[in-house]
Amino acid sequence: MHRVLETLQSKFPSTMVSVREDQMRGDLSVQVSAEGLSEVAKFLHDDPALAFDHITDICSADYPDDLERFEVIYHFLSLPTGTRIRVKARVPEENPSIASVSHIWKGANFLEREVFDLMGIRFEGHPDLRRILLPEDFDEGYPLRKDFPAEGKGWRSNFDFLPKLDEPVSAWNEADIPEDQRHVFMAGDSPESSKRTTELLLNMGPQHPATHGVLRVVLELDGERVVKATPDLGYLHRGVEKLAEGLTYMQILPHTDRLDYVCAMTNNYAYVRAVEKLIGMTVPERAEYIRTIVAEMQRILGHLFWLGTQALDIGAMTVFFWTFREREVLLDLFEKLCGARLTYNYYRIGGVDSDFTPEIIEGLKGFLKSFPQHIHEYDVLLQRNRIWVARTKGVAVISGEDAINFGLTGPVLRGSGVAYDVRKLEPYGAYDKVDWEVPIGKDGDTYDRYWIRIEEMHQSARIIQQCLDQLPDGPVIADNPQVVPPPKPQVMRDMESLIHHFILFTHGFKPPKGETYCATEVPKGELGFFLISDGGPRPYRMKIRSPSFVHMGAFDHMARGYLIADIVTIFGSYDIVMGECDR
Amino acid sequence: MFETSLRLALTLTQIGVVMGIVLLTVAILTLLERKVLAWMQDRMGPMEVGPYGILQPVADGLKLFFKEDIIPAGANKLLFSLAPILSLVPALIGFAVIPFGPNISVEFFGVEFKPFVISDINIGILYILAFASIGAYGVILAGWSSNSKYSLLGGLRAAAQLISYELNVALSIVGVLLLAGTLSMVKIVEAQGGNWFFGIIPNWFAFALPFPQFVAFVVFYLASVAETNRLPFDLPEAESELVAGFFTEYSGMRFAFFFLAEYANMILVSCVAAVLFFGGWQAPWPFLQFHGSLEHLAWLSGIFWFTIKVYFFLFMFFWIRATLPRLRYDQLMRFGWKVLLPIALGNVVVTSIMAYIFPNS
Repeated sequence: MHRVLETLQSKFPSTMVSVREDQMRGDLSVQVSAEGLSEVAKFLHDDPALAFDHITDICSADYPDDLERFEVIYHFLSLPTGTRIRVKARVPEENPSIASVSHIWKGANFLEREVFDLMGIRFEGHPDLRRILLPEDFDEGYPLRKDFPAEGKGWRSNFDFLPKLDEPVSAWNEADIPEDQRHVFMAGDSPESSKRTTELLLNMGPQHPATHGVLRVVLELDGERVVKATPDLGYLHRGVEKLAEGLTYMQILPHTDRLDYVCAMTNNYAYVRAVEKLIGMTVPERAEYIRTIVAEMQRILGHLFWLGTQALDIGAMTVFFWTFREREVLLDLFEKLCGARLTYNYYRIGGVDSDFTPEIIEGLKGFLKSFPQHIHEYDVLLQRNRIWVARTKGVAVISGEDAINFGLTGPVLRGSGVAYDVRKLEPYGAYDKVDWEVPIGKDGDTYDRYWIRIEEMHQSARIIQQCLDQLPDGPVIADNPQVVPPPKPQVMRDMESLIHHFILFTHGFKPPKGETYCATEVPKGELGFFLISDGGPRPYRMKIRSPSFVHMGAFDHMARGYLIADIVTIFGSYDIVMGECDR
Repeated sequence: MFETSLRLALTLTQIGVVMGIVLLTVAILTLLERKVLAWMQDRMGPMEVGPYGILQPVADGLKLFFKEDIIPAGANKLLFSLAPILSLVPALIGFAVIPFGPNISVEFFGVEFKPFVISDINIGILYILAFASIGAYGVILAGWSSNSKYSLLGGLRAAAQLISYELNVALSIVGVLLLAGTLSMVKIVEAQGGNWFFGIIPNWFAFALPFPQFVAFVVFYLASVAETNRLPFDLPEAESELVAGFFTEYSGMRFAFFFLAEYANMILVSCVAAVLFFGGWQAPWPFLQFHGSLEHLAWLSGIFWFTIKVYFFLFMFFWIRATLPRLRYDQLMRFGWKVLLPIALGNVVVTSIMAYIFPNS
């Protein structure tokens, strides 16, 4: 048995309901009683030998037929030892409540609110347990429960809570807003002063030029200084997780494009990896290389988009157009690869859709040749620009400990000097076969996060170059007719292939009963898919651990004390995409 | 009686022509800015309206003209309507004292008038500064009267920024006034004729002895960029932070007024820079006054050089916009008070000393 599980079992013999080490998938999971969760969590976090300092995710599952209906599932990661553990606790339907861990991991705050919002489980001791993705006055129930219908409830125009276009707008006055609706946005601990002050609540978004979509942040301001920043998410919530429960594993794939639509393929990659891990299948080597190349192309694409919008937010508009010039080259390559420029569909469970054509390889090589020169152009405009440096250095500083505690990942975490990259910690694809480095920041400020993303583009170019040089021959999709649809020509000629095809597209494949969490390093951070299979063709529960959502949890912490202009910089330095944040 | 009416008619004509040229320049500038930015950013800019997009300003103007005029609920209607006018009028009124060409007098039915300056008053530059200060009220009142928090923040920023940078504008031109010994715009230009250093360097105040005012020009230009709310000092309207700042709530022609005011201000500032520091209508070297032996056409060359200079400074506005990110509020204040102001003051001191030691150079 694994060391961690042994320690836990000897330390908490009565709390542990069961411990399990999934040899095939390499997952550790323990089932604890709800009462004991708090102390187990504290032990996991505090014990120097275990040191589960990073909270990855909190989610929940609903088993209506069980005695204790709801299961709350925690994923922790120990950065020093590189171990992941899944802690599960059951709570009954009558009193679905469990102790909050938000005082141990600050990042649990938002994650617990999401579980409360979608599953209706209360977290005792949570500082601010409100709905987060759904509207605050949503009283239809908890959508991820199995008894909540997955179908729609009529036409949008018939919902009485949506304003009608022909109704006159009722006049309202700001003073009419009750005090209790305001107080959630106030820091509340403003120092006593002899001057009479009135707070200024500023609504940024959901329609605002710099909030990268439909993010709303309520700022409590003291002059131009931010006293408290309260993000209000969910304007783009589409219930992908609920939708997935009604779709077969293959049908979910196009839905994942729409998560992080700036670099859609990385979501596909994260998803197909999770499914492959669940069913335990291997992918041909050439496919692994192609996947790695495409994932790194997407990383460059995402970082270019980020750089352009970040620069535009700070006022340097030329960089925006220059990055789009380079994006255009890559987008053309993607168009040749899969026919689409935004919501690509190229990754398949078991491999990729089609092989690289010589044209794509040539185009990619041409791009790599000119790309370092283009990055240098951005550097000339930004890195050597004193205004840019003054706007980013020392802005939105987050220390390494805080960043880990908030569960941040990706460039935001690495900017604070923590060398955590899923590609190094749990290498997948061809990342362990090529030579590359993880850039690490020092100060945890916006400038470091900027520098890291620039450096990552260099590294991505390096990875692509090496992968292209090493690219082995072979098939690009696994030969596994139970899971992978057979090629079309065979389907038209061969009876057996036709049957497989028919079964796959009418029923879908059935993974074994089980559950797994699979993390992938996407440009924004760690994108994780947690899948529970009950042996059927559809996932029993799919949870998406989206980096943007977790990063928004640290927003208030990072924004306090800075100016309005810096708020925009902080959004930018997270590289948030609301499609992924709200899911 | 006849003489007075004729003088009035002539002046009105002059005003009409100058206004027409300024507004036409604004229209050209809106297109030019988009084109210049586009060229710097590897793209085409407007291409749809007319050949090569040259009719884009007409389309924009028509669109703004026909847009719904919205006054937000809770706005102070009087000030909300007054603010755009308060912004635009001072921007246009400054052109009254700008000499666009040589200081020549023409006799027209017995009435003598100067065709290239509407009014050569002896406090020309003070007059421009005074009206520029009134323009600040337009911005501040627009921000305050809109009943919107973004506008209010923009208006507050504008108040602080315009007042701080006005000081730098005023101080940076003191050196020129010391050297020229006059406040009249026409006389300032006339004082910049000729060349020195074997006829190589023009006697413009930016390069002239006894103390070249080039540093003062840089201060003046930077402060003017801030005065006109252009990048990197466009904090009152910072798009990514305050949506559109002080004119967030404006639409239609009221919005267009602010837009016109901004561009008219840019032109005015460029004109003032050309007049004060770069010799106005004076050609850099005598051989570049290309009228040849046609002395009565010397004014053409003057207007040509003036236009070239003004457009160069306007181009600089676009160039700076394409290159620099926006400053933050505290950095803007620090830059104005701790960098520009000491330089401007130092320039005044050094220029006074030099002008005292070498009174006649």
